Amino acid sequence: MASMDRPFSRRRLLAGAAALAGGGTLLGCAPSASRSADELSYWHLMSGGDGIVMAGLVDAVNASNAGSGAGFKATQTVLAWGPPYYTKLAMASAGGRAPDVAVMHASRIAGYAPGGLLEPWDLDLLAEVGIHERDFPPLVWQKGQYDGKLYSIALDTHPFVLYYNTSHADKAGVTDALHSMNSPEGFTEVATKLQKVTGKHGLSYGYLGDGSQMWRLFYTLYRQQGAEMKLVPGQQAQVDEAAAVKALTFVRSLLNDTIATRSGDGGTATSEFLHGESGMFFGGVWELPVLKASKLPFDAMPIPALFGTQAAYADSHTFVLPRQSEVSAERRRHTYQLVAEILKRSVSWAGAGHIPAYQPVIKSSEYQALKPQSNYAGIPAYVNYDPDAWFGGAGSDFHRYFAENVQNVYLGSGDPAAGFDGFVKRLNVLLDRPQPV
Amino acid sequence: MSTAIDSPAATTPVVAEGKLKARRGETLTGWAFAAPFAVLFVLFLVVPAVYGLYLSFTGETLTGANSGVIGFANYAEAFQDPDLWRSLGNTIWFTVLSTVPLVVLSLAFALLVNLGLPGRWLWRLSFFMPYLLASTVVVLFWAWMYNPKIGLINGVLAEFGIAPVAWLQDPNVAMFSVVITTLWWTIGFNFLLYLAALQNIPEQQFEAAAIDGAGKWRQLFAIVIPQLAPTTALIVTLQLLASLKVFDQIYMLTNGGPAGSTRSIVQYIYESGFTGYRFGYSSAISYLFFAIIVLVSLAQYRLLNRRSGR
Amino acid sequence: MSTYTLSRATKQTHKPGENPWSVSRMVALLILAFLAATWLVPFAWAVLTSLKSEADAGASNLSLSPPDGFSFDAYRKVLSAGDIPAWAWNSLITSAAITFITVATSALAGYAFSRMDFRGRRWLYAAIIAAIIIPPQLLIVPLFRQMLAFDLVDTYWGIILPQAFAPAMVLILKRFFDQIPVELEDAARVDGANRLRVFWSIVLPLSRPILAAVAIFVFIGAWNNFLWPFIVTTDAQLMTLPVGLQTVKSAYGLQYAQNMASAILAALPLVAVFLFFQRQIIKGIATTGFGGQ
Repeated sequence: MASMDRPFSRRRLLAGAAALAGGGTLLGCAPSASRSADELSYWHLMSGGDGIVMAGLVDAVNASNAGSGAGFKATQTVLAWGPPYYTKLAMASAGGRAPDVAVMHASRIAGYAPGGLLEPWDLDLLAEVGIHERDFPPLVWQKGQYDGKLYSIALDTHPFVLYYNTSHADKAGVTDALHSMNSPEGFTEVATKLQKVTGKHGLSYGYLGDGSQMWRLFYTLYRQQGAEMKLVPGQQAQVDEAAAVKALTFVRSLLNDTIATRSGDGGTATSEFLHGESGMFFGGVWELPVLKASKLPFDAMPIPALFGTQAAYADSHTFVLPRQSEVSAERRRHTYQLVAEILKRSVSWAGAGHIPAYQPVIKSSEYQALKPQSNYAGIPAYVNYDPDAWFGGAGSDFHRYFAENVQNVYLGSGDPAAGFDGFVKRLNVLLDRPQPV
Repeated sequence: MSTAIDSPAATTPVVAEGKLKARRGETLTGWAFAAPFAVLFVLFLVVPAVYGLYLSFTGETLTGANSGVIGFANYAEAFQDPDLWRSLGNTIWFTVLSTVPLVVLSLAFALLVNLGLPGRWLWRLSFFMPYLLASTVVVLFWAWMYNPKIGLINGVLAEFGIAPVAWLQDPNVAMFSVVITTLWWTIGFNFLLYLAALQNIPEQQFEAAAIDGAGKWRQLFAIVIPQLAPTTALIVTLQLLASLKVFDQIYMLTNGGPAGSTRSIVQYIYESGFTGYRFGYSSAISYLFFAIIVLVSLAQYRLLNRRSGR
Repeated sequence: MSTYTLSRATKQTHKPGENPWSVSRMVALLILAFLAATWLVPFAWAVLTSLKSEADAGASNLSLSPPDGFSFDAYRKVLSAGDIPAWAWNSLITSAAITFITVATSALAGYAFSRMDFRGRRWLYAAIIAAIIIPPQLLIVPLFRQMLAFDLVDTYWGIILPQAFAPAMVLILKRFFDQIPVELEDAARVDGANRLRVFWSIVLPLSRPILAAVAIFVFIGAWNNFLWPFIVTTDAQLMTLPVGLQTVKSAYGLQYAQNMASAILAALPLVAVFLFFQRQIIKGIATTGFGGQ
């Protein structure tokens, strides 16, 4: 009787296989399997004010296409800022099913380009859609280069700047001093005068639990001393410890609960400045829409050169081509058109505070009329990006390691030299490892 | 599959022809029945487990760089990695904080519901329903409850004049917030297991105890809790294993923050592998963590066996 | 341990001769009501928020009567954006496939282990028991690599296959089959029926409750699973409900009412199913509990 089982079980196996194959066809019709060459997928990480402007840009490009018959439609997918976005993007590229175009911080290129996760831009095709190197600030264009190829095209530069309350400044009589101060002592003096006017704090700066925010101010002041930071895999980090200690000591001296609160986070700092409880505010240009939405009398300017050299931490939102396993020439062409169209309309992007990278926009009277945006439009000429490293960039571990070692210094309990040494040690461990990309 | 079916027959010792045939037939049928499962099991569990072990000895990355074998370097690095120890510490702390209330409170809930009070289905529904929710939904609910400015909890606290708490932003509080959410979400499962077990305690035992004059509380400690011992052992085991592999709610509520104070080991595995691209290192951590899970399971097994042998 | 609850789950438990309205029982009832209410608060607050306008939802008072009144606007907006129905469909397809494959393969394998003495049986059985303690979370990296090699990243099969087997369920079913008297089958086999026919026409009909329990348990797990679908899908169109809700953000910033509406919509299917089949589901969970998590 046992032998009777055999034919039956074989038949059963066959039937099972057939059922699986049938189910397979159903399951095979995954929704995105058939995207036409006209439908571009576009990933970015902008939400809030930035997201609204970006959605408007994409809609505008789509609408003008529909009119002109150029015939492509971009669909945006928004993912959460920081590690979630960059992790998904890398995984999508590794899987070969990446979006047609994505936004990436310029500081992240060094972590993506070497691993083959990105495709370089074709300069000839760019020229065809009207995008040339001469249309970008040299430092900003340069940041998109890796190994002699262009991997990213900047949409903007978004530096760390100084906002101030104009009515408090008038009352304290520091309006001129704000623009002329050129030493740490000068800054402290202005801040102290403002503090007397507000009765609360002179300066708002939120950093608690936010490594990026700590890094932005530190790096601005560090670079203002002419100091550099170079991270070459296999070597020790090249840093200027004296400059770092000087910058950290200065930051700590500001966070004394009089000039600025010792332990402020981003939300507290913004709301303090918004309610007129401080005279100055260190923040990114991306804070501008929130400040503008209030009735606060304020202005913005680059952080003055307090240590001799003009410098400003900044990053750029850039467009990149994630690696796809199947590339259609037509989609690529549409992708180039999409990017060109967004760049040409980027004056509305300036509305979100950012400095457009595309110079024809900067030169337009429309942009020049934007205040306070045009006050800091000169920053791209001397901008300071994060040091290139595979583990660096916006929202990366690099900023986290900075926070882990330096937060105590900012809080007043840690020694500046020890904190910075700890950070450098952590960097050296990473530099010592083989580069994973 | 064909080799798996053919080879046993080839190695079968010489037996009577008829018996051999029966034996072969049974082997064939047996494997035919087990094959669909076995194929999936091998492909998606055995193969990745072995492949992961191999990866842990390589410098393999997401992009395919450094794929060479590097021996124990990943393991050596892991032992000196402060982030790893931190996330391991967080995981154990979470396990302790969550397991105790998830066992004790679920028993208390089950005992209360088992009193036979009216509205039994409603109590069951209230406590169990959260268990049916996806982690994402749970986190959406609770991130909203915990919102520092406009969340319900701080709003209610304000009514009582209590200052707002930064539930997810304060490194000293965030882990407790995660535990509260986990308690709300998963207690229903343990609760159901206890409830089912309570209904299986023979009634005669209570009657006998009542005749002996034992009060309700005495009955609870003398009869109910000892009777529930096997269930408790099961629940503790499941709970420990579940808590040790916590990921979803922490990743979504706090993303491991603030300042790494809630990052769990599974999140560290995810981050090392996918955010940091280091597949090899991530696999090594997975295996170290697996070793811990095996140790916990063995310790528990021995503990339970000694108990039951007593 | 696995089946005892089936017979007694619905029994009334208050002891005869006891005053049902005693003071202590009233106190217990109050405590219970308070706890249950506490447990329902997050739901209630989410539903309330989802019915408000965005402006009211983002206001910092706890008003139960918002200035803009209540409406289903948030639900309308969320549904018309189109992502949630697509994600729900993905969840349904993949969870159904996972459930079907898991139940079918576990039942066949469980039966083989229960009734047949085949070569390699003990090895396979030992491997299955050992596998129960391997958390799938630890395999994400090698599995992702494997999926890349099979070209299954961003496909339904990529979501389904690694979830479509459950060693614990094989054990549960094997134990159940062990309790079915062999004599029932022997009679049929003497009549010439082969194993598969016996399994199909005698064993399976007797096992319906346990199969349903396993199916319910597997389906809930698959519907709610986050980590694996999160890793294997990067295409927003292919995500399951939990993954899509978590990963894809609104370009328009935080919209609390819509957030809560999405959460409620995502919770609704299972909660509705639960309300209809409460008793079966509770039995199912209690029965298969130890395969859990």
